[in-house]
Amino acid sequence: MADRSRVYKTEGVILRRRNLGEADSIFTVFSPREGKFDAIAKGVRKARSRMRGHLEPLTRSSLLLARGRSLDVFTQAETIAPYRAVRDDLQCGAVAIYCAELVDRFTIERAENPGLYELLLALLDALEGGAPSHVARYFELHVLALTGYELQLDACAVCGGRILAGDVFLSPSAGGFVCTGCRAKAGGGRIISLRAVKVLRYAHSTDIGSMASLRIDEDLGHELEGVMAEVVRHFLEHEPRTRPYLEQVSALASRVSAPHSEGVELPQGS
Amino acid sequence: MPDSVAGTPEPIARLIEALHKLPGVGPKSAQRLAYHILRISEEEAFALARAISDVKSRIVFCSLCLNITETDPCAMCSDTRRASSMICVVEQPLDVLAIERAGSYHGRYHVLHGVLNPMDGIGPEDLHIRELLRRVGEGNVAEVIMATNPSLEGEATAMFVQRLVGPLGVKVTRLARGLPSGADLEYTDDVTLARALEGRQEL
Repeated sequence: MADRSRVYKTEGVILRRRNLGEADSIFTVFSPREGKFDAIAKGVRKARSRMRGHLEPLTRSSLLLARGRSLDVFTQAETIAPYRAVRDDLQCGAVAIYCAELVDRFTIERAENPGLYELLLALLDALEGGAPSHVARYFELHVLALTGYELQLDACAVCGGRILAGDVFLSPSAGGFVCTGCRAKAGGGRIISLRAVKVLRYAHSTDIGSMASLRIDEDLGHELEGVMAEVVRHFLEHEPRTRPYLEQVSALASRVSAPHSEGVELPQGS
Repeated sequence: MPDSVAGTPEPIARLIEALHKLPGVGPKSAQRLAYHILRISEEEAFALARAISDVKSRIVFCSLCLNITETDPCAMCSDTRRASSMICVVEQPLDVLAIERAGSYHGRYHVLHGVLNPMDGIGPEDLHIRELLRRVGEGNVAEVIMATNPSLEGEATAMFVQRLVGPLGVKVTRLARGLPSGADLEYTDDVTLARALEGRQEL
Protein backbone atom coordinates (compact mmCIF):
# COMPACT_ATOMS: atom_id res chain seq x y z
CA MET A 1 0.00 0.00 0.00
CA ALA A 2 1.28 3.47 -0.80
CA ASP A 3 1.97 5.96 1.95
CA ARG A 4 -1.04 7.14 3.96
CA SER A 5 -0.78 10.88 3.28
CA ARG A 6 -4.12 12.59 2.89
CA VAL A 7 -3.89 13.17 -0.83
CA TYR A 8 -2.17 11.04 -3.40
CA LYS A 9 -1.49 11.14 -7.10
CA THR A 10 -1.95 8.33 -9.55
CA GLU A 11 -2.83 7.79 -13.14
CA GLY A 12 -5.49 5.40 -14.25
CA VAL A 13 -8.02 4.28 -16.79
CA ILE A 14 -11.66 4.86 -15.87
CA LEU A 15 -13.44 1.51 -16.12
CA ARG A 16 -16.98 2.46 -15.21
CA ARG A 17 -19.25 5.07 -13.68
CA ARG A 18 -22.22 4.84 -11.35
CA ASN A 19 -24.32 7.81 -10.40
CA LEU A 20 -24.72 8.73 -6.78
CA GLY A 21 -27.33 11.12 -5.45
CA GLU A 22 -28.13 14.37 -7.22
CA ALA A 23 -24.85 15.27 -8.94
CA ASP A 24 -22.12 12.90 -7.77
CA SER A 25 -20.73 9.78 -9.42
CA ILE A 26 -18.64 6.86 -8.28
CA PHE A 27 -15.95 5.87 -10.75
CA THR A 28 -14.08 2.59 -10.86
CA VAL A 29 -10.47 3.32 -11.76
CA PHE A 30 -7.73 0.90 -12.71
CA SER A 31 -4.26 2.20 -11.97
CA PRO A 32 -0.80 0.65 -12.21
CA ARG A 33 0.15 0.96 -8.53
CA GLU A 34 -3.14 1.21 -6.66
CA GLY A 35 -4.85 -1.47 -8.70
CA LYS A 36 -8.61 -1.21 -9.05
CA PHE A 37 -10.46 1.14 -6.74
CA ASP A 38 -13.67 3.15 -6.47
CA ALA A 39 -13.68 6.88 -5.79
CA ILE A 40 -16.30 9.62 -5.66
CA ALA A 41 -16.35 12.71 -7.84
CA LYS A 42 -18.50 15.37 -6.20
CA GLY A 43 -20.74 17.48 -8.41
CA VAL A 44 -19.36 15.84 -11.54
CA ARG A 45 -22.76 15.63 -13.25
CA LYS A 46 -23.23 19.39 -13.25
CA ALA A 47 -22.62 20.99 -16.63
CA ARG A 48 -19.89 23.21 -15.25
CA SER A 49 -17.94 20.49 -13.48
CA ARG A 50 -14.23 20.84 -14.21
CA MET A 51 -13.60 17.13 -13.94
CA ARG A 52 -16.46 15.71 -15.95
CA GLY A 53 -14.75 15.18 -19.29
CA HIS A 54 -11.57 13.92 -17.65
CA LEU A 55 -13.41 11.10 -15.92
CA GLU A 56 -15.39 9.60 -18.80
CA PRO A 57 -15.12 5.80 -18.91
CA LEU A 58 -12.22 4.56 -21.11
CA THR A 59 -10.24 7.76 -20.53
CA ARG A 60 -6.66 7.57 -19.25
CA SER A 61 -6.25 10.37 -16.76
CA SER A 62 -3.85 11.76 -14.25
CA LEU A 63 -5.66 11.92 -10.92
CA LEU A 64 -5.33 13.56 -7.55
CA LEU A 65 -7.36 11.92 -4.81
CA ALA A 66 -8.06 12.64 -1.17
CA ARG A 67 -8.40 9.67 1.12
CA GLY A 68 -11.90 9.39 2.49
CA ARG A 69 -13.37 7.31 5.27
CA SER A 70 -14.89 4.71 2.99
CA LEU A 71 -14.24 5.98 -0.53
CA ASP A 72 -11.55 8.33 -1.79
CA VAL A 73 -12.61 11.58 -3.42
CA PHE A 74 -11.29 12.96 -6.71
CA THR A 75 -9.88 16.45 -6.25
CA GLN A 76 -8.29 16.93 -9.68
CA ALA A 77 -8.31 15.07 -12.96
CA GLU A 78 -6.58 15.68 -16.25
CA THR A 79 -6.79 13.61 -19.40
CA ILE A 80 -3.63 11.85 -20.56
CA ALA A 81 -5.29 10.03 -23.46
CA PRO A 82 -8.97 10.52 -24.35
CA TYR A 83 -9.09 7.56 -26.80
CA ARG A 84 -11.44 9.54 -28.93
CA ALA A 85 -11.31 7.24 -31.96
CA VAL A 86 -12.27 4.33 -29.69
CA ARG A 87 -15.39 6.07 -28.39
CA ASP A 88 -16.29 7.45 -31.83
CA ASP A 89 -16.53 3.97 -33.31
CA LEU A 90 -19.40 1.78 -32.17
CA GLN A 91 -17.53 -1.52 -32.53
CA CYS A 92 -14.18 -0.35 -31.16
CA GLY A 93 -16.03 1.18 -28.23
CA ALA A 94 -17.91 -2.07 -27.58
CA VAL A 95 -14.66 -4.08 -27.60
CA ALA A 96 -13.03 -1.59 -25.23
CA ILE A 97 -16.03 -1.62 -22.86
CA TYR A 98 -15.96 -5.43 -22.86
CA CYS A 99 -12.22 -5.50 -22.08
CA ALA A 100 -12.70 -2.89 -19.34
CA GLU A 101 -15.30 -5.18 -17.78
CA LEU A 102 -12.86 -8.10 -17.90
CA VAL A 103 -10.31 -6.01 -16.00
CA ASP A 104 -13.00 -5.05 -13.50
CA ARG A 105 -14.17 -8.64 -13.02
CA PHE A 106 -10.81 -10.38 -12.91
CA THR A 107 -9.24 -8.05 -10.34
CA ILE A 108 -9.82 -7.39 -6.68
CA GLU A 109 -9.71 -3.94 -5.08
CA ARG A 110 -6.35 -2.32 -4.37
CA ALA A 111 -4.28 -5.19 -5.74
CA GLU A 112 -1.34 -3.85 -7.70
CA ASN A 113 -1.00 -5.33 -11.20
CA PRO A 114 1.16 -3.09 -13.41
CA GLY A 115 1.36 -5.74 -16.11
CA LEU A 116 -2.40 -5.75 -16.49
CA TYR A 117 -2.41 -1.96 -16.65
CA GLU A 118 0.14 -2.10 -19.46
CA LEU A 119 -2.05 -4.64 -21.22
CA LEU A 120 -5.12 -2.40 -20.95
CA LEU A 121 -3.20 0.58 -22.32
CA ALA A 122 -1.82 -1.57 -25.14
CA LEU A 123 -5.36 -2.62 -26.05
CA LEU A 124 -6.72 0.93 -26.00
CA ASP A 125 -3.74 2.21 -28.00
CA ALA A 126 -4.21 -0.58 -30.54
CA LEU A 127 -7.94 0.13 -30.91
CA GLU A 128 -7.22 3.85 -31.16
CA GLY A 129 -4.84 3.01 -34.00
CA GLY A 130 -7.59 1.13 -35.85
CA ALA A 131 -6.84 -2.46 -34.76
CA PRO A 132 -9.51 -5.02 -35.69
CA SER A 133 -11.81 -6.40 -32.99
CA HIS A 134 -9.96 -9.74 -32.81
CA VAL A 135 -7.37 -8.03 -30.58
CA ALA A 136 -9.96 -8.80 -27.89
CA ARG A 137 -8.83 -12.47 -28.13
CA TYR A 138 -5.28 -11.40 -27.34
CA PHE A 139 -6.61 -9.38 -24.44
CA GLU A 140 -8.68 -12.27 -23.07
CA LEU A 141 -5.71 -14.67 -23.16
CA HIS A 142 -3.40 -12.23 -21.44
CA VAL A 143 -5.93 -11.03 -18.84
CA LEU A 144 -6.24 -14.67 -17.81
CA ALA A 145 -2.44 -15.09 -17.70
CA LEU A 146 -1.94 -11.91 -15.65
CA THR A 147 -4.60 -12.82 -13.09
CA GLY A 148 -3.42 -16.36 -12.46
CA TYR A 149 -5.35 -18.36 -15.05
CA GLU A 150 -2.75 -18.79 -17.78
CA LEU A 151 -3.86 -21.36 -20.32
CA GLN A 152 -1.56 -24.25 -21.18
CA LEU A 153 -1.29 -24.02 -24.95
CA ASP A 154 2.06 -25.68 -25.75
CA ALA A 155 1.43 -29.13 -24.39
CA CYS A 156 -1.49 -31.20 -23.15
CA ALA A 157 -2.79 -29.60 -19.94
CA VAL A 158 -3.45 -33.05 -18.45
CA CYS A 159 -0.52 -35.33 -19.37
CA GLY A 160 1.99 -32.63 -20.28
CA GLY A 161 2.84 -34.46 -23.48
CA ARG A 162 3.17 -32.78 -26.84
CA ILE A 163 -0.01 -32.69 -28.85
CA LEU A 164 1.12 -34.40 -32.01
CA ALA A 165 -1.57 -35.75 -34.21
CA GLY A 166 -5.31 -36.06 -34.01
CA ASP A 167 -7.82 -33.58 -32.75
CA VAL A 168 -6.99 -30.82 -30.29
CA PHE A 169 -9.51 -30.00 -27.60
CA LEU A 170 -9.76 -26.96 -25.42
CA SER A 171 -10.86 -27.68 -21.89
CA PRO A 172 -11.26 -24.65 -19.62
CA SER A 173 -11.49 -26.87 -16.54
CA ALA A 174 -8.20 -28.59 -17.40
CA GLY A 175 -6.72 -25.17 -18.11
CA GLY A 176 -5.76 -25.39 -21.75
CA PHE A 177 -5.41 -27.69 -24.75
CA VAL A 178 -5.79 -31.41 -24.16
CA CYS A 179 -4.88 -34.32 -26.42
CA THR A 180 -7.34 -36.94 -27.64
CA GLY A 181 -6.15 -39.44 -25.03
CA CYS A 182 -6.71 -37.09 -22.11
CA ARG A 183 -10.00 -35.64 -23.23
CA ALA A 184 -12.09 -37.88 -21.00
CA LYS A 185 -9.85 -37.19 -18.00
CA ALA A 186 -10.21 -33.45 -18.63
CA GLY A 187 -13.98 -33.83 -18.38
CA GLY A 188 -14.67 -33.08 -22.03
CA GLY A 189 -13.61 -30.07 -24.03
CA ARG A 190 -14.55 -28.63 -27.36
CA ILE A 191 -12.74 -29.58 -30.52
CA ILE A 192 -10.78 -26.74 -31.95
CA SER A 193 -9.50 -26.23 -35.47
CA LEU A 194 -5.81 -26.28 -36.26
CA ARG A 195 -5.99 -22.70 -37.48
CA ALA A 196 -7.49 -21.57 -34.17
CA VAL A 197 -4.79 -23.48 -32.28
CA LYS A 198 -2.15 -21.61 -34.25
CA VAL A 199 -3.73 -18.20 -33.68
CA LEU A 200 -4.10 -18.78 -29.93
CA ARG A 201 -0.48 -19.96 -29.62
CA TYR A 202 0.65 -16.98 -31.64
CA ALA A 203 -1.43 -14.59 -29.53
CA HIS A 204 0.06 -16.13 -26.43
CA SER A 205 3.63 -15.43 -27.43
CA THR A 206 3.46 -12.25 -29.49
CA ASP A 207 2.62 -8.59 -28.83
CA ILE A 208 -0.70 -6.89 -29.53
CA GLY A 209 0.62 -5.10 -32.62
CA SER A 210 1.47 -8.37 -34.37
CA MET A 211 -1.91 -9.77 -33.31
CA ALA A 212 -3.63 -6.73 -34.82
CA SER A 213 -1.91 -7.20 -38.17
CA LEU A 214 -2.98 -10.84 -38.36
CA ARG A 215 -5.61 -11.45 -41.02
CA ILE A 216 -8.43 -13.53 -39.62
CA ASP A 217 -11.40 -14.48 -41.77
CA GLU A 218 -14.98 -14.40 -40.50
CA ASP A 219 -15.29 -18.14 -39.76
CA LEU A 220 -12.05 -18.29 -37.82
CA GLY A 221 -12.99 -15.06 -36.04
CA HIS A 222 -16.29 -16.60 -34.91
CA GLU A 223 -14.60 -19.80 -33.77
CA LEU A 224 -12.01 -17.93 -31.71
CA GLU A 225 -14.68 -15.68 -30.23
CA GLY A 226 -16.78 -18.67 -29.19
CA VAL A 227 -13.81 -20.58 -27.76
CA MET A 228 -12.55 -17.66 -25.70
CA ALA A 229 -16.08 -16.71 -24.56
CA GLU A 230 -16.38 -20.20 -23.10
CA VAL A 231 -13.02 -19.93 -21.36
CA VAL A 232 -13.84 -16.51 -19.90
CA ARG A 233 -17.25 -17.74 -18.76
CA HIS A 234 -15.61 -20.72 -17.06
CA PHE A 235 -13.14 -18.67 -15.00
CA LEU A 236 -15.55 -15.83 -14.29
CA GLU A 237 -18.31 -18.30 -13.44
CA HIS A 238 -20.80 -16.19 -15.35
CA GLU A 239 -21.22 -14.33 -18.62
CA PRO A 240 -19.69 -10.84 -18.72
CA ARG A 241 -22.49 -8.28 -18.70
CA THR A 242 -21.17 -6.43 -21.74
CA ARG A 243 -21.05 -9.60 -23.86
CA PRO A 244 -24.60 -9.36 -25.32
CA TYR A 245 -23.94 -5.74 -26.28
CA LEU A 246 -20.69 -6.68 -28.01
CA GLU A 247 -22.55 -9.35 -29.97
CA GLN A 248 -25.37 -6.98 -30.93
CA VAL A 249 -22.93 -4.37 -32.16
CA SER A 250 -21.03 -6.98 -34.19
CA ALA A 251 -24.31 -8.22 -35.67
CA LEU A 252 -25.20 -4.65 -36.58
CA ALA A 253 -21.81 -4.11 -38.22
CA SER A 254 -22.10 -7.24 -40.34
CA ARG A 255 -25.68 -6.29 -41.25
CA VAL A 256 -24.60 -2.85 -42.44
CA SER A 257 -22.03 -4.50 -44.70
CA ALA A 258 -24.75 -6.86 -46.00
CA PRO A 259 -28.06 -5.05 -45.48
CA HIS A 260 -31.27 -7.03 -45.08
CA SER A 261 -34.67 -6.01 -46.27
CA GLU A 262 -36.03 -6.02 -42.71
CA GLY A 263 -33.74 -3.19 -41.76
CA VAL A 264 -35.89 -1.89 -38.92
CA GLU A 265 -35.44 -4.78 -36.49
CA LEU A 266 -33.07 -4.69 -33.56
CA PRO A 267 -30.11 -7.03 -33.98
CA GLN A 268 -30.13 -10.10 -31.74
CA GLY A 269 -26.95 -11.23 -30.05
CA SER A 270 -26.14 -14.85 -30.85
CA MET B 1 -34.01 0.95 6.69
CA PRO B 2 -34.39 3.56 9.45
CA ASP B 3 -34.23 2.33 13.00
CA SER B 4 -37.77 1.94 14.18
CA VAL B 5 -37.74 3.61 17.54
CA ALA B 6 -39.79 1.72 20.10
CA GLY B 7 -42.99 3.60 20.79
CA THR B 8 -43.29 5.18 17.32
CA PRO B 9 -46.96 4.77 16.36
CA GLU B 10 -47.38 2.33 13.48
CA PRO B 11 -48.73 4.86 10.88
CA ILE B 12 -45.74 7.14 11.45
CA ALA B 13 -43.29 4.26 11.27
CA ARG B 14 -44.90 3.24 7.99
CA LEU B 15 -44.63 6.77 6.57
CA ILE B 16 -40.97 7.01 7.64
CA GLU B 17 -40.24 3.73 5.93
CA ALA B 18 -41.98 4.83 2.72
CA LEU B 19 -40.16 8.17 2.62
CA HIS B 20 -36.84 6.49 3.31
CA LYS B 21 -37.24 4.55 0.08
CA LEU B 22 -37.13 7.79 -1.96
CA PRO B 23 -33.81 8.63 -3.61
CA GLY B 24 -31.56 10.89 -1.53
CA VAL B 25 -33.67 10.55 1.62
CA GLY B 26 -31.74 9.16 4.56
CA PRO B 27 -33.19 7.81 7.81
CA LYS B 28 -33.02 11.16 9.62
CA SER B 29 -34.53 13.13 6.72
CA ALA B 30 -37.29 10.52 6.50
CA GLN B 31 -38.12 11.04 10.17
CA ARG B 32 -38.05 14.83 9.82
CA LEU B 33 -40.34 14.72 6.78
CA ALA B 34 -42.75 12.33 8.48
CA TYR B 35 -43.05 14.52 11.57
CA HIS B 36 -43.41 17.58 9.35
CA ILE B 37 -46.30 15.95 7.52
CA LEU B 38 -47.86 15.17 10.90
CA ARG B 39 -47.73 18.87 11.80
CA ILE B 40 -49.10 20.41 8.58
CA SER B 41 -52.80 21.02 8.05
CA GLU B 42 -55.04 18.17 7.00
CA GLU B 43 -55.74 19.97 3.74
CA GLU B 44 -52.07 20.23 2.80
CA ALA B 45 -51.39 16.62 3.73
CA PHE B 46 -54.28 15.30 1.66
CA ALA B 47 -53.23 17.47 -1.28
CA LEU B 48 -49.83 15.76 -1.15
CA ALA B 49 -51.42 12.32 -0.94
CA ARG B 50 -53.72 13.14 -3.89
CA ALA B 51 -50.82 14.47 -5.95
CA ILE B 52 -48.97 11.20 -5.42
CA SER B 53 -51.97 9.06 -6.29
CA ASP B 54 -52.80 11.19 -9.37
CA VAL B 55 -49.27 10.81 -10.68
CA LYS B 56 -49.70 7.08 -10.58
CA SER B 57 -53.27 6.87 -11.85
CA ARG B 58 -53.44 9.68 -14.43
CA ILE B 59 -49.99 9.77 -16.01
CA VAL B 60 -49.46 7.47 -18.99
CA PHE B 61 -46.83 7.12 -21.68
CA CYS B 62 -47.65 8.76 -25.00
CA SER B 63 -48.08 5.97 -27.54
CA LEU B 64 -46.09 7.95 -30.11
CA CYS B 65 -43.19 9.66 -28.36
CA LEU B 66 -43.21 7.69 -25.08
CA ASN B 67 -43.07 10.91 -23.11
CA ILE B 68 -45.11 11.08 -19.91
CA THR B 69 -48.51 12.64 -20.47
CA GLU B 70 -52.04 12.89 -19.19
CA THR B 71 -53.59 12.45 -22.61
CA ASP B 72 -52.57 10.01 -25.30
CA PRO B 73 -51.21 11.16 -27.76
CA CYS B 74 -49.49 13.87 -25.73
CA ALA B 75 -49.97 17.62 -26.26
CA MET B 76 -46.74 17.88 -28.26
CA CYS B 77 -47.53 14.97 -30.56
CA SER B 78 -51.03 16.36 -31.28
CA ASP B 79 -49.83 19.96 -31.76
CA THR B 80 -50.11 20.50 -35.53
CA ARG B 81 -47.89 23.58 -35.35
CA ARG B 82 -44.93 21.41 -34.41
CA ALA B 83 -43.02 19.98 -37.39
CA SER B 84 -43.75 16.27 -37.64
CA SER B 85 -40.81 15.78 -40.00
CA MET B 86 -38.30 16.23 -37.20
CA ILE B 87 -37.83 13.89 -34.25
CA CYS B 88 -35.54 14.82 -31.40
CA VAL B 89 -34.43 11.67 -29.55
CA VAL B 90 -33.70 12.13 -25.84
CA GLU B 91 -32.82 9.86 -22.93
CA GLN B 92 -35.38 10.98 -20.33
CA PRO B 93 -38.64 12.97 -20.07
CA LEU B 94 -36.70 15.64 -18.16
CA ASP B 95 -34.54 16.18 -21.25
CA VAL B 96 -37.69 17.17 -23.19
CA LEU B 97 -38.31 19.88 -20.60
CA ALA B 98 -34.70 21.06 -20.87
CA ILE B 99 -34.93 21.39 -24.67
CA GLU B 100 -38.33 23.06 -24.42
CA ARG B 101 -36.86 25.57 -21.96
CA ALA B 102 -34.24 26.48 -24.56
CA GLY B 103 -37.20 27.38 -26.80
CA SER B 104 -35.54 26.93 -30.18
CA TYR B 105 -36.86 23.53 -31.20
CA HIS B 106 -40.30 23.15 -32.72
CA GLY B 107 -40.40 19.54 -33.84
CA ARG B 108 -41.49 16.29 -32.19
CA TYR B 109 -39.71 14.19 -29.57
CA HIS B 110 -38.95 10.58 -28.83
CA VAL B 111 -38.03 9.47 -25.32
CA LEU B 112 -35.84 6.36 -25.10
CA HIS B 113 -36.25 6.07 -21.31
CA GLY B 114 -32.62 5.23 -20.78
CA VAL B 115 -29.35 4.90 -22.56
CA LEU B 116 -27.25 1.92 -23.65
CA ASN B 117 -25.20 0.96 -20.63
CA PRO B 118 -23.59 -2.41 -21.31
CA MET B 119 -21.69 -2.33 -17.98
CA ASP B 120 -25.03 -2.38 -16.16
CA GLY B 121 -26.54 -4.83 -18.61
CA ILE B 122 -28.83 -2.27 -20.28
CA GLY B 123 -29.07 -3.17 -23.95
CA PRO B 124 -31.05 -1.83 -26.93
CA GLU B 125 -34.04 -4.05 -26.11
CA ASP B 126 -34.43 -2.17 -22.80
CA LEU B 127 -34.84 1.17 -24.59
CA HIS B 128 -37.71 2.35 -26.79
CA ILE B 129 -35.71 2.07 -30.01
CA ARG B 130 -38.21 -0.22 -31.74
CA GLU B 131 -40.95 2.41 -31.38
CA LEU B 132 -38.64 5.01 -32.90
CA LEU B 133 -37.86 2.75 -35.86
CA ARG B 134 -41.58 2.21 -36.37
CA ARG B 135 -42.25 5.95 -36.36
CA VAL B 136 -39.43 6.61 -38.81
CA GLY B 137 -40.49 3.65 -40.96
CA GLU B 138 -43.99 5.10 -41.35
CA GLY B 139 -42.51 7.92 -43.45
CA ASN B 140 -42.98 11.71 -43.09
CA VAL B 141 -39.77 11.97 -41.08
CA ALA B 142 -36.92 13.86 -42.69
CA GLU B 143 -34.55 14.26 -39.76
CA VAL B 144 -33.79 12.47 -36.52
CA ILE B 145 -31.82 14.57 -34.04
CA MET B 146 -29.85 12.52 -31.53
CA ALA B 147 -29.93 14.52 -28.30
CA THR B 148 -28.55 11.91 -25.92
CA ASN B 149 -25.95 13.08 -23.40
CA PRO B 150 -22.39 13.53 -24.69
CA SER B 151 -21.15 10.71 -22.43
CA LEU B 152 -19.68 7.37 -23.48
CA GLU B 153 -23.10 5.76 -23.10
CA GLY B 154 -24.96 8.60 -24.83
CA GLU B 155 -22.55 8.58 -27.77
CA ALA B 156 -22.82 4.82 -28.11
CA THR B 157 -26.62 5.08 -28.07
CA ALA B 158 -26.54 7.81 -30.72
CA MET B 159 -24.27 5.74 -32.98
CA PHE B 160 -26.35 2.62 -32.41
CA VAL B 161 -29.59 4.38 -33.37
CA GLN B 162 -27.86 6.03 -36.32
CA ARG B 163 -26.84 2.61 -37.66
CA LEU B 164 -30.48 1.50 -37.54
CA VAL B 165 -32.18 4.68 -38.73
CA GLY B 166 -29.59 5.67 -41.34
CA PRO B 167 -30.45 2.79 -43.73
CA LEU B 168 -34.08 4.01 -43.77
CA GLY B 169 -32.94 7.03 -45.76
CA VAL B 170 -33.49 9.59 -43.02
CA LYS B 171 -30.97 12.27 -42.08
CA VAL B 172 -29.58 11.58 -38.60
CA THR B 173 -27.94 14.51 -36.83
CA ARG B 174 -26.23 14.88 -33.49
CA LEU B 175 -26.34 17.87 -31.15
CA ALA B 176 -23.16 19.94 -31.40
CA ARG B 177 -20.64 19.43 -28.64
CA GLY B 178 -18.34 22.06 -27.27
CA LEU B 179 -17.85 24.45 -24.42
CA PRO B 180 -20.76 25.19 -22.08
CA SER B 181 -21.35 28.89 -21.48
CA GLY B 182 -19.36 30.10 -18.49
CA ALA B 183 -16.78 27.34 -18.94
CA ASP B 184 -13.09 27.55 -18.17
CA LEU B 185 -10.86 26.69 -21.12
CA GLU B 186 -8.05 25.67 -18.80
CA TYR B 187 -10.10 22.89 -17.24
CA THR B 188 -11.77 21.65 -20.39
CA ASP B 189 -11.02 18.09 -21.39
CA ASP B 190 -9.30 17.30 -24.68
CA VAL B 191 -12.30 15.72 -26.39
CA THR B 192 -14.56 18.70 -25.69
CA LEU B 193 -11.90 21.16 -26.77
CA ALA B 194 -11.14 19.25 -29.97
CA ARG B 195 -14.86 19.15 -30.81
CA ALA B 196 -15.29 22.81 -29.98
CA LEU B 197 -12.48 23.62 -32.41
CA GLU B 198 -14.01 21.45 -35.11
CA GLY B 199 -17.37 23.13 -34.66
CA ARG B 200 -16.01 26.69 -34.60
CA GLN B 201 -18.02 29.33 -36.43
CA GLU B 202 -17.19 32.60 -38.09
CA LEU B 203 -17.90 35.58 -35.87
